[in-house]
Amino acid sequence: MNGQPVYIASAGIVSPLGRGLAATAEALRKNRSAIGPLQVFALLQGEPLPVGQVPGIAADLFPPRTHRLACEAAKMAMQDCTEPLDAIVLGCTTGGILTTEQLLRENESDKEAYRYHGLLSVAEEVAALCNCAGPAITVSTACSSSAVAMALALDMLRAGGMQRILVGGVDSLSRLTYFGFHSLQLVDRQGCRPLDVSRQGLAVAEGAAMLLLTTIRPEAPLAVLLGAGLSCDAHHPTAPHPAGEGALKAMQAALADAGMDPSAIEYINLHGTGTPENDLAEARAISTLFPAPPALSSIKGATGHSLAAAGAIEAVVAALAVSQGFIPGNTGCRQPDPALHLVPQTVFADRPVRTVLSNSFGFGGNNGSLVIGRADAPASAARRETRGPLAVHGSACLTGAGLKAATLAALQAGTTAAGMIAAEEISRHLPARLIRRLKRLARLSLLLATAAHADTGGRENPAAVFMGTGWGALSETYDFLTRLNESAEQFPSPTDFVGSVHNGAAGQVAILFNATGANVTTSGGDYSFEQALLAADHLLDDSAGSAMLLGADEAHSPLSPLLAPSPDPAGPLADGGGALYVNRDQQNARCLVRMPFYRRGPADGLTDDLLAALGGVDRVLSDYAAVFAGIPAGMTALGNRQLEHFLAAIGHRLPVCRYRRFTGEFASASAVAAVLAVSCLEAGLVPGALVGGDDIVVGRDRKILVLGTGHFLTSMEFFRQ
Amino acid sequence: MHDLINELKVKLIDLLNLTDLTPDDFDEHSRLVGGDLGIDSIDVLEMVVMVEKDYGVVINSQEVGEKVFSSLTTLADYIREHRPGGAV
Repeated sequence: MNGQPVYIASAGIVSPLGRGLAATAEALRKNRSAIGPLQVFALLQGEPLPVGQVPGIAADLFPPRTHRLACEAAKMAMQDCTEPLDAIVLGCTTGGILTTEQLLRENESDKEAYRYHGLLSVAEEVAALCNCAGPAITVSTACSSSAVAMALALDMLRAGGMQRILVGGVDSLSRLTYFGFHSLQLVDRQGCRPLDVSRQGLAVAEGAAMLLLTTIRPEAPLAVLLGAGLSCDAHHPTAPHPAGEGALKAMQAALADAGMDPSAIEYINLHGTGTPENDLAEARAISTLFPAPPALSSIKGATGHSLAAAGAIEAVVAALAVSQGFIPGNTGCRQPDPALHLVPQTVFADRPVRTVLSNSFGFGGNNGSLVIGRADAPASAARRETRGPLAVHGSACLTGAGLKAATLAALQAGTTAAGMIAAEEISRHLPARLIRRLKRLARLSLLLATAAHADTGGRENPAAVFMGTGWGALSETYDFLTRLNESAEQFPSPTDFVGSVHNGAAGQVAILFNATGANVTTSGGDYSFEQALLAADHLLDDSAGSAMLLGADEAHSPLSPLLAPSPDPAGPLADGGGALYVNRDQQNARCLVRMPFYRRGPADGLTDDLLAALGGVDRVLSDYAAVFAGIPAGMTALGNRQLEHFLAAIGHRLPVCRYRRFTGEFASASAVAAVLAVSCLEAGLVPGALVGGDDIVVGRDRKILVLGTGHFLTSMEFFRQ
Repeated sequence: MHDLINELKVKLIDLLNLTDLTPDDFDEHSRLVGGDLGIDSIDVLEMVVMVEKDYGVVINSQEVGEKVFSSLTTLADYIREHRPGGAV
């Protein structure tokens, strides 16, 4: 048997081109550009720049525009689906920022008003709409977000066990992205003209697209998702590698994943943003891979660049291209740039197309390529091998007490580690030139990654990076918006914009290690590290080498008390994180890790499902030495109830550590808990201070369970061979 | 003229967070962008904003930017020639 085919059963799309598949195809047929002057929000001064905006979205603050776009596309995609979804995977960078920007301007101090800020809130909104009880994952890798989301969803389906995943991408226009790209001088005042000799940049846009992926062949599938490939330039925070090395690697990986030669591709949907550098680097990569390139075009001259939504929107366009038989025109390009050595398809053409390669690249040098085929395409991908658990070869954590040794010392002393480590203490360990432009989250992340790598005792640099962050780069986001407001929108900071993207820190880690493999940042509130672990488990195959798996968050005053659902209202601000050096090589591993359970609540039966997934009460009692439970402050009642239910079921016969009392309250506290679990297994001992009693000897065959509670119930388990 | 150069040294060290550099070791003739300081395109954009905000001098083309930011001296010269009120 060949690889499990993954069908695109249906799709929803809301973009500047229109609503739904028919309107989208019709707009493409007319080569119509939907780019026009900004109307979504008023400017304090100056002429509005051209953008791609979706008409007819209510301007109310709640729910934010991103959530509305996402739900509209999700409803469309799920219209004919009556079966339950197993998971949701979204690409998103903006979350509720458009609403947050307005609230901050009004000095709103009621934290309830900011409940839609985080990226998780978009995925939760879609999960609630679709009644999905599985994980709701958010990938935030800037402009490649939804291509990366599709790569992850593809492997989740191929791995077996799941049958239906709603995958997609969404972003709304916001001041952050509008002024941010403007500050980088990446906006073309004449609209967007990809591949044109006089192109001057992109048009910031918005939109949403959702695709229902399934392993069960629908009666009339729209298309087949044949393969996906990820890479990282590890070169620069914003500029692509000039020769397009990362782009080339992603395209090669996607073709290899689909089991195809370049000659099998009949249309390339370019990333083609219209910036001079992107188009040149992408063209070089294509010329390297395709001696005689097939038809190719960028649709961003028509749609603008909808950032995290772009990959999904263009996957839908690719699905339309194969199902209806057309090649979209490269709207906006009048005179192709001879330096590119590529001639795009300038106008729409009716023509049968069997296979499409679709590119999405983003800040942080983050690249994703997808191969989409006609419904009758043979599934030629090699069968996905069954993989063992991830093996941990090094670890590091950072808390208010300091790095791992200091954190463990605080634990032994019975004091709290909650707090914020001094900025000087972080930078003391890092080269000044390396971090001069970086703020707290990126610095925390670099320190964690450096320390975890050092802890391996000289293993090779990691090739891939998986990072979870619940709150993202709060310092840069706050500083960007503050300077924007204080200068009456005149002087937004390019440096802060670049640093504000959720995947900025993981991009820096990649540059540090020259890690050119997959680079995935997830942002799922208090489950962000669990999402990064899930992504690593799916996207790090046996041949991919090693990865740095991190969870980190920065506390920020005044933002985190307002935006984070779970800072401790009474305690001090706390932050930090944890990092694990992982691969598939079990030899000499410190321990192994896997995630047997990740479901969305708050159904009462959820803890019973967890027990069943862990093998039942007897199994839990015989296998585990201790339970580290994360009960986020923002969900205390629900989390306590879930934990009590679980403990009652096992007769309260396992020692329990409510680890957030020790780590403090921050979104990725579970990354610290993970490192504590690794340390306990290495020592063969759970310190009594952690579980409120005597030290517990951990036998070689015993595991440590790290539970996450609240809106989702998650479990990570750490064990030895 | 020399005052402006000294002023720019202090401003750039602060703006670009060149914490390991003092105004005295900042050579006004050495290559500013792409040199040993690790100053790149993002820093150039940050400097463009600063020059406009603090001196009222607009640099809106990459071609001009490349010349202006080739060293601290060329930057100071450009500001002096183009600041409102003319050369001082």
